[in-house]
Amino acid sequence: MSDLAYELFPASPRRVENPERRLRPLDAPQRRRRPKLAYGIIAVAGAVAIALAQMTFSILTTQGTFEVAALNQQQRDLNYEKQMLYDEVAGLGSPQYLAANASALGMVVADTPSYLRLSDGALIGAGQPASGTSSVDAIGRGAVQNALIADTPLVTAPDATIQGAPMAESTGDSATPPPIADGLPTPATR
Amino acid sequence: MTTRSTRSSRRRTVVALSVVLAVLIVFVVRLVDIQVVNAREHIDDSLALGFGASQTLFGARGEIVDENGDTLAGSILLYDAQLDPMLAQDGITRKDENGTSVKVSWPDLAAQMAQITGQTAEEVEKIVTDALAVNEESRWAYLKQGITTEQRLALADLGAPFLTFVTHPARTYPDGAVGGNLVGFVGRDGEALAGLELAQNDCLSSENGTRKYQRGKDGVILPGTQVDDPAVDGGTLQLTINRDLQWYLTQLIAEQAQNVGAKSGTITVVDAKTGKVRAAAEWPTVDPNAYDASAPEDRYSRIFSGTFEPGSTFKALTAAIAIDAGGQNPGSTVTAANRETFPNGATVRDPTAHPTNNYTLTGVLIDSSNVGISKFGDTVSAQTRYDYLKNFGIGESENFGLGQGVGELRTPDTWDNQTFYNTNFGQGLTTTVPELVGAYQTLANGGMRMPLSIVEGCTASDGTVTDVPDATGQQVVSETAADDVSLMLENVATQGSLAKQVAVPGYRLAVKTGTGEKSDGMGGYKAGAYFTTMIGFAPAEDPQYVVAVTLDEPVTVKSSAANAPAFQKAMTQVLKTYRVMPSESETPELPKFG
Repeated sequence: MSDLAYELFPASPRRVENPERRLRPLDAPQRRRRPKLAYGIIAVAGAVAIALAQMTFSILTTQGTFEVAALNQQQRDLNYEKQMLYDEVAGLGSPQYLAANASALGMVVADTPSYLRLSDGALIGAGQPASGTSSVDAIGRGAVQNALIADTPLVTAPDATIQGAPMAESTGDSATPPPIADGLPTPATR
Repeated sequence: MTTRSTRSSRRRTVVALSVVLAVLIVFVVRLVDIQVVNAREHIDDSLALGFGASQTLFGARGEIVDENGDTLAGSILLYDAQLDPMLAQDGITRKDENGTSVKVSWPDLAAQMAQITGQTAEEVEKIVTDALAVNEESRWAYLKQGITTEQRLALADLGAPFLTFVTHPARTYPDGAVGGNLVGFVGRDGEALAGLELAQNDCLSSENGTRKYQRGKDGVILPGTQVDDPAVDGGTLQLTINRDLQWYLTQLIAEQAQNVGAKSGTITVVDAKTGKVRAAAEWPTVDPNAYDASAPEDRYSRIFSGTFEPGSTFKALTAAIAIDAGGQNPGSTVTAANRETFPNGATVRDPTAHPTNNYTLTGVLIDSSNVGISKFGDTVSAQTRYDYLKNFGIGESENFGLGQGVGELRTPDTWDNQTFYNTNFGQGLTTTVPELVGAYQTLANGGMRMPLSIVEGCTASDGTVTDVPDATGQQVVSETAADDVSLMLENVATQGSLAKQVAVPGYRLAVKTGTGEKSDGMGGYKAGAYFTTMIGFAPAEDPQYVVAVTLDEPVTVKSSAANAPAFQKAMTQVLKTYRVMPSESETPELPKFG
């Protein structure tokens, strides 16, 4: 048994008989030591720092939450805008719209092409002149429906739609030339 | 000494006490249960009641795109506007620019709403009147379902607190009827109803997620309470279809079918090397954006659901079989009269009168002689012909879930004497457009049949690709046999009666027509009604694309000549679309007569 054990567990009854031996009067009161101020300051400062940090984090998180909410709102608005724009252009890229616009301009779906080989300038294909008639009538007999753009006017013929619609009275044969508004028309080739 | 009465009163006390005790114990147990055992659950419940909120995160249904990635079917959000009729009838009080309150009466408000939704003011007022007529305290009615984002925001700007909006994902088809027969459509409730939308629903469908959170006073999510169960978007379904080509052919077949007064018409284009379907156009067809505008029978694909007796287009298959298994070649000859009775008693006649000719196999195909091809068919057994036809894919249609059309090819033991010969020229059996196109793809591809495909693949939202078509082919006839048939079909194009109409300048073309008789449903054939077909491929020296044009009961021209203009234009457009170089050689002329 160690000494400590003896002290903790006084086993011998003899010792219990004289308990007063353990308490004895002091000659003079022990000099009181001043409590170390530094420890106190550190402890209090630590507690304050922790409290401050916690508060700061809390404020930041709350601020962040509001920021997130604002951004969410912004995202929602942008989503709405995106959807509106998508709805607006839906169908405008469809082949029948493009074709109807092109035929309103007088463009045709032509016959077989011929190819020029660059290396020797050889003509591949029949080399026949194009007939100038379209193989399908994309505007007069538009048969490929699209409910998204059924009422959307063509860009090139504002009073017609892909549904065929009244073809604009032929302007090409007019006796009086159209007035020149923006100077002489120039081809936009680059 | 205890009397009887004191004993009974003591017993009563004991009983009463024990009952009270029992009840107390029950209460204690329940208290512990509530406060300790299930405490967490109840706290959660109370929080959910007080601050909890959840919102559905909508997963977007996958897009359907064409071979170049252009969208054929996409997802958008629509809204259902609902109102509270009881509140609505009172009108609202709105602040104007100066901050003064202005009362807006219900009729005025209804007029403003009507202007946004495209209804009339009376219609809007009627919704409220009707709802209140049924129930005086009605709190709910639809203003309009399926309004757009723009309309929704405009309605919200009216500032009417009795208006609410429910978001629902919807489908949009930017190209309208282009490929509508294939893509199919989705109903208003989001359920796939037809076409690939239905057949490939597993690929396309999405899973909605939820977001749970606790909400502060301003609807702000309390920090740290948000739990997301993210939505899973549907996969992107890429088709082998080319939408520009599909549009052109749809427009073309509509014009042609109307020109000849046909009931319906189809054009199908298949890549000769890979079996990929590049276009499958038909008229009449459906615009998936407004599918209820089409007749119910027009909302589905005829190409994949219709069967027909092919007629003479089958002669090319019989010729290939006779060359591959019967030892024949393009120069082999038979004598064929205009009408002949065979030893088994069957009588075969040719559609046009001609003297008894000494036809080559090539000549038989050029003049489309039923008698001649029947004699060439005789060079192999019925079972051999049957087996070859099976290998060509006849009676085994691949429809990709777009229809139930399967050709009916009975086993040879059920063929009667007439059917024995009729099957040589495509009568007495039925087929479908995909089967016929598949058979010609085999001939165009050196005898190697590639399985047809219309789906390029399904790319899930996590990037995994599934449903990639099988690319293993099957050699049906030898390359020599296939090339011989190709050469003969070229001579059909150059020497046949429709040579001028079908010629595509600059290209070598192989073609065969078919004018199939139509069953009248009573064991006979309809008089004067035919299902006409023209099928071919180009450039014949190295075939790239197979094109098939069919017309159901053309009126103004009853033979396959009705198909010629559409076939010529379709083939021209296909060759242009894919920049196929013109042929640098001429078709070698084969003799028609021996």
